[in-house]
Amino acid sequence: MVELYMERNAAKNGLVNLVAVVIIFIAAFGVTYYVNSLAGQIASVFLGLGALVAFASWFQMRLEENERLEKLEMDELAGGRSGSALFETKDAEVFPARRAREQFEKFFVPGFGVLLLLLEAGGAWLLWGWIGRATSGVAPDRAMPALALFAIFALLLFLFGRFSVTMARLENHRLLRPGASFILLGAYICFITALAIAGVKAEFPRADFYIARGLCVLLGLVAAEMLVTLLLEIYRPRVRGKITRLVYDSRLVGLLGQPESLFTTAAQALDYQFGFNVSETWFFRLLQKNLPALLLVQLAVLLLSTCVVFVDAGEQAVLERFGKPVAGGVLTPGAHIKLPWPADRVYLYRTEQIQTFDVGYAPDATTENEKTILWSVAHAKEDNFLVGNHESVTIKNENTDTNDTLKAPPVSLLTVSIPVQFQIHDVMAWAYQNADPTNLLQDLATRAVVHYLAGVDLNSVMSQAKLEAEQTLRDQIQAAADARRLGVKILFVGLQDIHPPVKVAGDYEKVVGAEQTKLAKILDAQADAIRTNALAGALAFTTTNIADATRQRLEVQALARAALFTNQIPAFAAAPSVYRQRAYFQTFAAATANARKYILLVTNTEEVVIFDLEDKIREDLLNLNVPNSQSP
Amino acid sequence: MKRNILTVIIGAVLILIFGLLLFVFQVRQSEVAVVTTFGKPVRDLTEPGAYFKWPWPVQKVYKFDQRTQNFEDKFSENLTSDSITLLTSVYVGWKISDAQSFFPKFAGGSMSAAQRMLESTLRSAKSAVISKHTLSELVNADPKALQFDGIESEIEQAVQVQLQTNNCGIELEFLGFKKIGLPESVTQAVFARMTSDRQRLINQFQYEGEAEAQKIKSAAERQASEVVNNAVADATRIRGEGEAEAAKVLPVFQQNPELANFLLRIDALQQSLNQRSTLIFDERTPPFDLFTGIPASSTSQGH
Repeated sequence: MVELYMERNAAKNGLVNLVAVVIIFIAAFGVTYYVNSLAGQIASVFLGLGALVAFASWFQMRLEENERLEKLEMDELAGGRSGSALFETKDAEVFPARRAREQFEKFFVPGFGVLLLLLEAGGAWLLWGWIGRATSGVAPDRAMPALALFAIFALLLFLFGRFSVTMARLENHRLLRPGASFILLGAYICFITALAIAGVKAEFPRADFYIARGLCVLLGLVAAEMLVTLLLEIYRPRVRGKITRLVYDSRLVGLLGQPESLFTTAAQALDYQFGFNVSETWFFRLLQKNLPALLLVQLAVLLLSTCVVFVDAGEQAVLERFGKPVAGGVLTPGAHIKLPWPADRVYLYRTEQIQTFDVGYAPDATTENEKTILWSVAHAKEDNFLVGNHESVTIKNENTDTNDTLKAPPVSLLTVSIPVQFQIHDVMAWAYQNADPTNLLQDLATRAVVHYLAGVDLNSVMSQAKLEAEQTLRDQIQAAADARRLGVKILFVGLQDIHPPVKVAGDYEKVVGAEQTKLAKILDAQADAIRTNALAGALAFTTTNIADATRQRLEVQALARAALFTNQIPAFAAAPSVYRQRAYFQTFAAATANARKYILLVTNTEEVVIFDLEDKIREDLLNLNVPNSQSP
Repeated sequence: MKRNILTVIIGAVLILIFGLLLFVFQVRQSEVAVVTTFGKPVRDLTEPGAYFKWPWPVQKVYKFDQRTQNFEDKFSENLTSDSITLLTSVYVGWKISDAQSFFPKFAGGSMSAAQRMLESTLRSAKSAVISKHTLSELVNADPKALQFDGIESEIEQAVQVQLQTNNCGIELEFLGFKKIGLPESVTQAVFARMTSDRQRLINQFQYEGEAEAQKIKSAAERQASEVVNNAVADATRIRGEGEAEAAKVLPVFQQNPELANFLLRIDALQQSLNQRSTLIFDERTPPFDLFTGIPASSTSQGH
């Protein structure tokens, strides 16, 4: 009867735990919403999981209690019946409560373990992402009430948890342990959440975020442990009569809730998993005995490790002792000894390395590997810079604003890509003069570029003034960096890409094309001129030669005619009429040989003869295409 | 016993570390600190080193970065005095000059709150200064007309005056234009003007080329014509000389002018009939007069 009473008492404790953790879970969730704490959100999740575990263990306690009641009744009946065969039936029919408990342990408990795993793993995954995206933090004006409430939750949970943990050590109260462990862990997490809120109140705004991240990792570890437990449960050796450990009774949660029971928990886990008492081996006992010494050694090693600093090649380090730079405390590459943390601290800087940043553009990953860079094709995320323009100013001053195109400001736009390379030469100046020296150097360089371009002409800076611009910019950036005591040396400033914006770049290329076309036209005309002059020379030569030939012909023919005439005179004198008639007919026959001749042999003088002497052109000649020919 | 000693040592070390953290704090070279006792500023620490304090909540330490902070304001639109909308962004370097004045002005010495205040002051000053200047004073190819540095100085002075008025423990170290741009619609107008400018050059090159070509051709033709004309003149002269030389034999023909004239006529007849010609004769023209002595029937058959 005492056993039964204790069993009922355990179930009552389980129910109290369940009610307490549910109420505190709801309250914690409300407070979290009120104060907008990330850590409080994770704490609520832990408390919710604790409520589920407390419910499962309470339910199982109820089943075991029913089973014991059933056993007592059956024992009483068995005493009264003295073994009549009439009531001999199967166990399932006689012990329904036991059957229910067995079915619960067989199916529900593993299923619940899987459910917990999914909730824990899913919760850790989702909360990690949600924390990273969270933009708002703890409301400072609500921090104090929330802090106090979480402290109260921690205290209440601690009291319930400690009581239940103590009760769980009693025989037949083992089912109290899973819920009690979660309640104790919940108490500590509520306390940590209160610390996170206090941290925010004490001007550490990221405290809530970092503690939330830590609790998220813890939730992930609990999920991992649950997964391992489920896997090991499959291969665990079954010992008849040995009480099985509940799958949802997390050892990690138990250890965190009761850190003093580290060795007990570890021993129990090992004994349970291997089926024999690992905790009684010499190694385990040695470890258990010397743990404080090991921890001390580890702490000492950790502290000693902060006494040595290694500076890599290309780096320099600034050594600070209690925040003050040590005289000559710039450490060069190699190993160095220093006082342990927190007395000495070291800050490393890449001094030898040539560092680069870009002004005017941000490399575009999609076009970075292009082999050809064209003005008219965007090859990076480029900024447009304003640049002066002589021609536009002239137009604006000379004319009124009647023309629409003149309403545009008297400036042009230009795209530049300027890589700037620098090296830190004074690490103390770099470290202590400016909070963000890299960003400041970029600001100074960009300002120098904006200033330079604002005072030059577009066309000149794109052509002949480019080299001069590089030198001027390098000098100006160096001067600005020196004025701001940045401790850097500007090694290189390159105008590697300077061109009109992509939208008008094509028009600039057309101008180059037009210039080439102009040259081509001039060259064509020169070729034509050469041809014309050459042909004219040839024609002149021909004309004079023909004239020479004509002169020669005239002279020779005149002489020949004179000689012929001299010889013809005697013949004419001998027979003037015959000679004349003969000459006439010879000439007539020769001259009219090819002429078309019509001879009218008519006697009637009044007859009218009509001749159509019009030339008839052959039809095929009319269709002939004659190519154009140019006269020289 | 041994175990107890170890536990005591560990505990002592932990308590020592915890105590150090509670009672001692460090101020870095790059920092300045303000110590408050129950919320009231009592100490202003500008030198680096380790300092003692009473633990929270008696004393609290607020540390600030005393190095020059820099930030860039928003790329905002302003109107110049010549009514051109201009986008500008300014970077600013500032530092805490007086931590005790700075600390109470910005909710526990919040650097971000100070930066927000500075940014609003900056935007106001920038807008006021830019509205007094024309765009060509900020961007101009003529260095004499450019007032870039002067405008920066004006903005810096305006901000500095406001900071002194506020007495918020902040000092402006430097200021400069980070970006100067035009709104999208104006940018498109500038693009259109740049395109027109290029088109003007394209036309200039195109027609200059044509004009130049025409000039070259014309000069060449003139030169060719000159050469040909000279050649024709020379040819005429040469032919004349030939004529003159040929005329020297004319006295020979004077020996028998009748025969000479007859021969000249015959030559002329022969030369005139050299071309394609149609001749119509009647029966009286020798030698066709031979047809008159032929009987009529024979004549008809001849046709």
